[in-house]
Amino acid sequence: MHELAIAQSIVEAIEAKAFECQATRVKCVRLKIGEASGIVGDSLAFNFEMLASLVPVLSGATLQIESLPHRAWCALCDKEFAVRNYIAQCPTCQEWSSNIISGTELQILDMEIEAPEKA
Amino acid sequence: MPKVTIAQNILAVNETIADEIHQSLTARKIRTINVMSSPGAGKTTLLERTVEKLRGQLKIGVIEGDIETSADAERMEAAGAETVQINTLGACHLEAHMVRDALSQLDLAQINLLVIENIGNLVCPASWDLGEDQRIVVASTTEGDDKPSKYPQMFAISQVLVINKIDLLPYVDYDIKKVRKQALEINPNLKIFELSSRTGEGLAAWCDWLVTFAQA
Repeated sequence: MHELAIAQSIVEAIEAKAFECQATRVKCVRLKIGEASGIVGDSLAFNFEMLASLVPVLSGATLQIESLPHRAWCALCDKEFAVRNYIAQCPTCQEWSSNIISGTELQILDMEIEAPEKA
Repeated sequence: MPKVTIAQNILAVNETIADEIHQSLTARKIRTINVMSSPGAGKTTLLERTVEKLRGQLKIGVIEGDIETSADAERMEAAGAETVQINTLGACHLEAHMVRDALSQLDLAQINLLVIENIGNLVCPASWDLGEDQRIVVASTTEGDDKPSKYPQMFAISQVLVINKIDLLPYVDYDIKKVRKQALEINPNLKIFELSSRTGEGLAAWCDWLVTFAQA
């Protein structure tokens, strides 16, 4: 539902960065999105590509999304476990953990660009 | 082809503004809550009754987020709170820059509790930090009793759950124990209030908590 606003934030961040690096074209942007971040990847990519087509330097740019699983760490068992349905309950000792180690990321990793050859 | 490392949060700009808001409000000893729910759960009525009940105890300022109309801001003003309306004109959530703009229209010297009423929506507002101290999610007995399981992110990021409209429990199929269980599985630290804004039942405990929170 809010993927358009997220896509807009990515386009703004990338446009600024592209200007900074004097890129003539951005080909691809890589993201890390946690599965518990509330973002639908396909919808985000669709919205990004639509908005990118309106910005010359981003025209044709694609989004590559690395999805990260929702995981937590149990201090009692000293073990990592998969969080299912947002319930961070350790499958071994049944205790709840507040140590979420992945799954909430909304991160721009990097971008591939074309830049003028340096003389 | 050159690769340029960026390594930044997608919502970095929002986070920066939210941090600035939080610092500026904290410096003025103003505590802030961000109130979220689905449309119709009763956020505005809860806040009206809260403002009326706490008149003389807390100085409450309100930022009203709505897609359209200033109807809710008028209700809050009538209840006695200094209020600024934000109309997002379609956007499904408030963002920190909107709150920053609204704050410039409030007399902050006259406030010790700031209430931000977010857009009625259990999905999108969860992703945008507004500089608040606590997030409050309001559920109501006229909604399904599976809301925490269906919208887990909202319950995971909130500190307080208010279950509203308990006066209607005899007339609706709403299993309040199930809601509590689901919500606490997702977020064991969630503080839960059960109340009816309409009859006033349970409102005192919520208001007492707010007073303690605002004066902490």
